[in-house]
Amino acid sequence: MSLWESFRHAIRLLASQPLRSVLTLFGLVWGTAAVIFLMSWGAGLNQMLDISFNRIGKNLLMVFPGRVSEDYSPAFDRRFLFYERDDVDDLRSRAHEIDLVAGETQKWMASAFGSRALSVDTRGVEPEGIRIRGVGIESGRSLRRADLDHRRRVAILGNTARELLLGSRGSVGSWIRLDGTPFRVVGVLERVGTQLSRDGDEIDRQIWVPLTTHMGLWPNPFVAEEFLPKLLIRVRDRHRFAEAKAEVRSILSERLRVSPSDEEATPMFGVNEILDELPIGEQNTVSVLIAAMTLVIGGVGVLSMMLDSVRERRAEIGIRLAVGARRRDILGQFFIETVAIVGLGGLLGVLIGVGGTLLLGSDVLRDAIPSAQRDLVPLPILEPHMIATAVGIMCFVALAAAIVPAWRASRVDPAETLRWE
Amino acid sequence: MKALISLEDVHKRYDTGRTEVHALRGIDLRIDAGEWVVIMGPSGSGKTTLLEILGCLSQPTSGAYHFSGVSVESAGSNELAALRGECIGFVFQAFNLLPRLTLIENVELPLLYRRVSRNERRERAREALERVGLDHRAHHLPSAASGGERQRAAIARALVNRPSVLLADEPTGNLDTARGQEILAILQSIHESGATVVTVTHDPLIGGQSPRTVSILDGAIESDERSGP
Repeated sequence: MSLWESFRHAIRLLASQPLRSVLTLFGLVWGTAAVIFLMSWGAGLNQMLDISFNRIGKNLLMVFPGRVSEDYSPAFDRRFLFYERDDVDDLRSRAHEIDLVAGETQKWMASAFGSRALSVDTRGVEPEGIRIRGVGIESGRSLRRADLDHRRRVAILGNTARELLLGSRGSVGSWIRLDGTPFRVVGVLERVGTQLSRDGDEIDRQIWVPLTTHMGLWPNPFVAEEFLPKLLIRVRDRHRFAEAKAEVRSILSERLRVSPSDEEATPMFGVNEILDELPIGEQNTVSVLIAAMTLVIGGVGVLSMMLDSVRERRAEIGIRLAVGARRRDILGQFFIETVAIVGLGGLLGVLIGVGGTLLLGSDVLRDAIPSAQRDLVPLPILEPHMIATAVGIMCFVALAAAIVPAWRASRVDPAETLRWE
Repeated sequence: MKALISLEDVHKRYDTGRTEVHALRGIDLRIDAGEWVVIMGPSGSGKTTLLEILGCLSQPTSGAYHFSGVSVESAGSNELAALRGECIGFVFQAFNLLPRLTLIENVELPLLYRRVSRNERRERAREALERVGLDHRAHHLPSAASGGERQRAAIARALVNRPSVLLADEPTGNLDTARGQEILAILQSIHESGATVVTVTHDPLIGGQSPRTVSILDGAIESDERSGP
């Protein structure tokens, strides 16, 4: 009995009872398609979260000023700490785990253009900070070191801030007021999109001015020195956040003359640390397991269909044995038939899964989503290993569903089935 | 002449759970190559059980059975399959064709298990169908053929392996007299071409035509008569 003959038998078996075949194959087709689709959807969700979390700045580590903790100081005399621009310079020259450092100040204030007014999150930034945020310039220019050196009153606007404040009348070159002080708009930032993590308002709604200008105009009223309420740091390697934090902490602790193990003195926050703690991988595993269970249940359907088939075809088995088939021929025939049926269902499932995934991941569908929501819609990402996983599970199901019917078929007693009673 | 089939004190018991059926009670039978033997007996006499044992479909509970020198009672299932495939052709009362295969595919079936190439299978099946006068119906399904045609196809299937013995279980039982006569004529011609034919029947028509008639009753041989020369 050749492979091809067995395969033809499988097709004939399916064709002989179309309704039963469709119902049986449905579980397999759906299960296989679901494994592929859920895996690629999980990958898309991962990517969407990664992008959305990192819109605040890729591999961003934020360092805030703290207080000496109670373990190192009497409770009534806990020192408030703050950073200065020298700390930034020192980190730049000494730290290896990080590649960019910038100070940043922040203040909510009224902005005005003509008769329009807007409460806006205004940041004092450095060119390195702009690079850490990773936002490009849509029109005009970015802020330069010279703007900081001369404390120029120039501003760049987030994409939404420009729309809301300038509307259609204003553009690069317009003058706006920030907290009453005139600033010239020199540039507009590209659209960043919805942020799943932020430090204040979204970047799209912020206005950026030179750090020195910001510190000069809006100093901290409680401290005489010019102080930086926040340091932005870009970590070189996403997987070495802990090392980067330890290095930064040891340098800053030394400068602040606090213990390097005093975490309250130098509080830090990495966006990716939160992202990595989300149970996304586990979530994906669970959904794929559920899909795999569907596939297994599809296999149970095939198992019962094949057991039926063995029962109905006892006479056929008897005839085959009578004309010289060995038990292992019968075993092989039913085994291959079952595998062929599972394979056919699986193949259809792979086609539907791949087709559906490609369709849902295509630009056509993406463009149909309103742009405001598009940022947070996960688009499935298809990778070869997902198809391999689906096929692997399918092979397992095929083997499991094939063994019992094939063994039963091979145990049929020819004398008993051929009697004419 | 060397015995093709020899049974010595063969018993067959079936254990059906509550009761034990003693279907064969000590059969001694010797059939030489080239004989035409008809086994007759009323229903329940054990003749079908005897044919199953002769055809290596089941093994005796006790006693010795030699088929062309091979002792069947101690053979393994693969050896039995090889004997059935190479030396024995079956014809059944119910024809037992596979309904989803065409007549020629049914005839090819025994060759499928003997690793015969596709072309040779086709050719030999066609020869066998010609021999029973059915080559024009080769590609019909059994459901499209008449009873006589089905039985002729079944005979072609039994012949396609050029077996040393043809076993027929009530080959005319499901046919009218005219079709039955046709089948008998074919069996006759097979016998004349040198093959051994063993037929089980309770149809006295067949019994009357064969040179040797074995009658069994209650699992034992009642008479073994030879007629003619």
